[in-house]
Amino acid sequence: MSEQALRFMQSVKDKADRGELLYVGESPARVDGLEKVMGSPVYTADLLPRDTAYAKLFLSPVPHGVIKEIDASAALTSRRVIAVLTWRDIPGLNESAAVLPDRQLYASTVVRSTADIVGAVVAETQQAAADGARSVKVVCDPLPAVFDPLEALKPGSVRVHPGGNVARQMRIRKGDIERGFSEADVIIENTYRTQFQDAAPMETEMGFALPSRDGAVTVIGSMQSPHHTRAAVAKVLGLPLEKVRVVQAFTGGAFGPKSDETPYDVCATAALASTKLGRPVFCSLDREESMVVHTKRHPFIIRHRTGALFDGRLTAGEVEMVSDAGAYASLGVYVLGRATFHAMGAYEFPNVKVDSYLVYTNNTYAGSLRGFGGPQAAFAIECQMEELARKLNMDPLELRLKNMLRDGKRTATGAPVESCGLPQCVDRVVRSSRYLERREEYRGQAGSVRRGLGMAFLIHGNSLGPEGNDYGAVILEIKRDGTVVAGTGLTEYGTGAVSGLLQVAASVLGVPLERFRLDRPDTSRHRETGPTVASRTVVIGGNAAKVAAEKLRKRLGLVAADIMKVREERVAVVDGMALDTAGEAPPVPWSTLVQEAYSRGVKMWEEGYFMAPPAPWDTETGLGTPYLQYTWGALILGVEVDMETGCYRVTDVHVAYDVGRAVNPSGIMGQIYGGTVQGLGYATMEELIHRDGYIVNPSLTDYYIPTSLDIPEEFKAYIVEEPGPLGPFGAKVIAEPPIVLPAPAVRNAILDATGVSVNELPIAPEKVLKGLRGR
Amino acid sequence: MSKHFVVMTINGEEKGFYVDSTDRLIDVLRERFGLKSVKEGCGTGDCGLCAVLLDGRLVNSCLVLAPQCGGKAVVTLEGLLQDPIMANLQAKFLKHNAAQCGFCTPAMLLAAKQILDRLPTPTREEVASAISGVLCRCTGYYPIIEAILDASREAEAAP
Repeated sequence: MSEQALRFMQSVKDKADRGELLYVGESPARVDGLEKVMGSPVYTADLLPRDTAYAKLFLSPVPHGVIKEIDASAALTSRRVIAVLTWRDIPGLNESAAVLPDRQLYASTVVRSTADIVGAVVAETQQAAADGARSVKVVCDPLPAVFDPLEALKPGSVRVHPGGNVARQMRIRKGDIERGFSEADVIIENTYRTQFQDAAPMETEMGFALPSRDGAVTVIGSMQSPHHTRAAVAKVLGLPLEKVRVVQAFTGGAFGPKSDETPYDVCATAALASTKLGRPVFCSLDREESMVVHTKRHPFIIRHRTGALFDGRLTAGEVEMVSDAGAYASLGVYVLGRATFHAMGAYEFPNVKVDSYLVYTNNTYAGSLRGFGGPQAAFAIECQMEELARKLNMDPLELRLKNMLRDGKRTATGAPVESCGLPQCVDRVVRSSRYLERREEYRGQAGSVRRGLGMAFLIHGNSLGPEGNDYGAVILEIKRDGTVVAGTGLTEYGTGAVSGLLQVAASVLGVPLERFRLDRPDTSRHRETGPTVASRTVVIGGNAAKVAAEKLRKRLGLVAADIMKVREERVAVVDGMALDTAGEAPPVPWSTLVQEAYSRGVKMWEEGYFMAPPAPWDTETGLGTPYLQYTWGALILGVEVDMETGCYRVTDVHVAYDVGRAVNPSGIMGQIYGGTVQGLGYATMEELIHRDGYIVNPSLTDYYIPTSLDIPEEFKAYIVEEPGPLGPFGAKVIAEPPIVLPAPAVRNAILDATGVSVNELPIAPEKVLKGLRGR
Repeated sequence: MSKHFVVMTINGEEKGFYVDSTDRLIDVLRERFGLKSVKEGCGTGDCGLCAVLLDGRLVNSCLVLAPQCGGKAVVTLEGLLQDPIMANLQAKFLKHNAAQCGFCTPAMLLAAKQILDRLPTPTREEVASAISGVLCRCTGYYPIIEAILDASREAEAAP
């Protein structure tokens, strides 16, 4: 054999030895990449049929009031307006709610926020629909309103809902909090506040519906969770689930709100109008409407009281969290849970008391947004650790190292920590940032520009945990031409996670990802898979894909063994080639293997299903195992602050995340870069401002998100792999976590540089300046 | 509302058609000519997703009225699918995972093409500046900048 042939055989053998890890750790191009770089017409608005009518929503004019009259006469004078829809037109249940049944699709009597939808105008053109919607007069008797969640908690406050203003309440009780504080040498107490953040996916919410003669309806739209959307649409239309088919179009970013109630609103409106009119109807939100209507990140007010010994060991942590739900609970019910379980951060507190409240106000409502309560909890605990370090006159790194969770320690809920890569993450960022050297360099700075370093550590519970049954299903079908078609109700909206999930299947089957094709998620063909949220696609869906691939691999292995006349155990499939690992029988190409399997009548499709084990915890004490594994991480960044103006710049960012097993490193880096920049936006510039219940900056003109000129010059990201027990091959989640740490790290770096504590996000220069002047 | 007859070049082909005085260029391109790579993200000129090349300059087509475009040449991504620089950029976007949700990708590719036409070997700062009019919420921009720099390096290496 030639040297080249020998080398080739050796490389094939090496790959065969990797077994099921064949393509895990590689970064093939994503399965949906080609359509995207070609600018193909694959998004919702690109797909409208010719005779489509357009629906536009009209909203409540007041933050709290009783509807007296809906006057649509002006709209109906337009020749192009076809219909006006209000709650009276709903044949089924007037509800658009993810968890608690507290929100109507179209408000019938009471409006509770300026994001409440009152109805829709349907017209021949988008412009006519928009003009028509603007001309509808919703006449309301205003009611007193409450906009501050602390006010809303007081007895005698305005009631947003008849049942009172606390939508959900949670607690953790671990150890003996009083003893913890009595043992402490120092006790500090601070309050931290976070703001409304908008997800600002580049594509806003939209969907269109196609009626069919038998009373059924098909909805195509931009969303994260088609099965949940189907249930919501069916409820509004009063149809059985089988009569509603929902297909997810390519989705131009999501970040949480598209798993919450807004996709229900636009899809149900389109479906309602289309079944009424017997023609396709498109319902979309423009940017302003999207920013008003869809769910935002909850503002939190978090009070921390912390006790520690002089040597830095923590003795007690008491936390009170008040979360502004806005007018409706949405997925905020679960956001509160994630915030509560992450209240103590990545640190071991022997004694813990946490009380948290999700509180209704008459602000526009908050809900699901990347990080899901994690960023608020982390901001507070990481600021508090920094304040404690200063109080103890200790380096903040030393204080954190002394108390951080690692294998063998216990979390705030008493769960034992395992497969924890936090120490490695910290080591990476400390070295990468030259933390210790720069500490020395920055000592005794004078002058108008000062430098500082800030850090934060991450614990991030994986997947749904306490948020419900955690399952996924994936169908794989091998076509006659050897293509593997994959279908799942788990959706792709930019993360690349579905490609990661398929990479797991590719590794098991022995066929590279380029042979895979992804079906559109379609409720008529793919079974209910739960929501596509919580970064769970690779971890849960990957396990389901693995199940399906293993079954197909088993069958094809038998066929290959028979063709090669060898024992089944000797067969390996690598790069679409069945091989005899003993090197005796000639290899069988994938196409031959597939043809042969077809001719023998082998079943060439399989559905894999995976359900995570339960994550039990006690609702009274909060103790237990709310999450089955954790992603760990650490971030250190540098800032440069102008002491005259309070303006500052993040100069360099160093992050490391323990992702368990890196299925697709390039995809992981994409999440780290994107999440970090979104987190820097949250830290430095992003705030949806409410004034008396109205959002004053619902546009990309007045709500800033980072541009390519706002990103730090130096960005170093590291992947740490400490395999976890839940995901395929040890994979942990990574899509949400990178948004969590930037905010506290920026705040702590500014404190380091200037001595100014900004305890309220975003960290606008004027807040820094105010602190500088107040010194 | 008055009607205007406009003659303009769209992706290399001369087209003559009637428009209303308030018709936006983006709607003409998307609805009349089916050029769906032109995306709408805000309608206020902030996000840049509707960027097209108008006489070689990158402009937001949501802020341009169609009657203003008489005698001008418009190029969208669909018009550059045979262009070697664009093909190279597309390959590099795939390689660097620079298209995540993909909604900003056509505009980003046009911004990239424009900078490479002007400066075959731009610096990192020049690339960041060239794409600063197009917002992306997924990538944090790093993979996009990397892809464009990679494409420029390859162009430089070619004879």
